[in-house]
Amino acid sequence: MKQLLAFSGIEPERLELKWVSSAEGPRFAHVVTDFVERIRGLGPSPLRTGASARKAG
Amino acid sequence: MIDQVRDHVKGLLDDGKIVAFVGLKDQGGNVSPHVYTNSDDLNNGFSLGDLNTPGDARYPLARIAMTAVSQDEKGAVGVLVRGCDERALYELLRWNQLDAERIVKVGIACPAELAQAHECRKPFPDEYVAGEKTDPVANASVDEIMGKDLLGRLDYWKTEFDKCIKCYGCRDVCPVCFCNVCTLEEDSLIRTGDIPPENPMFHLTRAVHMAGRCIDCNLCTEVCPAEIPLRTLYKKVAEIVKDEFEYVTGEPGDRKSPLNILGPDPGHTAAND
Repeated sequence: MKQLLAFSGIEPERLELKWVSSAEGPRFAHVVTDFVERIRGLGPSPLRTGASARKAG
Repeated sequence: MIDQVRDHVKGLLDDGKIVAFVGLKDQGGNVSPHVYTNSDDLNNGFSLGDLNTPGDARYPLARIAMTAVSQDEKGAVGVLVRGCDERALYELLRWNQLDAERIVKVGIACPAELAQAHECRKPFPDEYVAGEKTDPVANASVDEIMGKDLLGRLDYWKTEFDKCIKCYGCRDVCPVCFCNVCTLEEDSLIRTGDIPPENPMFHLTRAVHMAGRCIDCNLCTEVCPAEIPLRTLYKKVAEIVKDEFEYVTGEPGDRKSPLNILGPDPGHTAAND
């Protein structure tokens, strides 16, 4: 999936797949926080321009 | 050359080895797929895509053969195969869409110009009745895109996908699109009312569904009225599947496609049969 995104011109870092067990609460929080920080760093998606950005309003 | 093929097919029909032959028919200058059911039929408009040689009129004959097989209870069906049709047959077999014993291939090798025009990876089937074997053509289109930077690629694909009129031609002509229900028509997954369809979701979704399936025949790109280079996208997907799973589509053997691992084994219709 990441390779296909890169080929289409979308930063592959915007996608992450992680397996977290239901017993791993702290790990889940850690994984999600990390991801949110990473996405913040990347800024708005390059797809949110023109029509889609207007619709999203 | 065409006589060679015609005589071969006549022999198969007359000997009762096949009940029908899926091939091409020239009808007043238009070449279209046709199911021949007796050898007299073959005297009328039998075509290889061009007047006497394998020409550029191509159709998803493998999938038409799949339908023809389902129309008859147990007889075998002959089918005109080029390199691409054969790859489609191999892939349909691996996806349990066909019974190998009910297909009789009649191979023709494609001329070099045709192979060149379609960047064909194998312009001839394993066995062929007519035609000359020509060299495979190397893949260049994927490298061209990979040469761009991320933004360049996004611009390129967004512009291409914006041309889409959502005719579903790419899906309908695809020899390996056999699903009864299609994600592309599922409103909860992709908005169905928009033209161009959701960009890039529509085309990326189709690309993912081509993983471990696309046999690189180029029919989708050939039929696309908006001339979107879809096949380049699917070629990349095939490259990823090959790198990650060492799976190459359109080859003989019963190895299951990596995206079909939960399905029944080849030759079975259900997991527990």
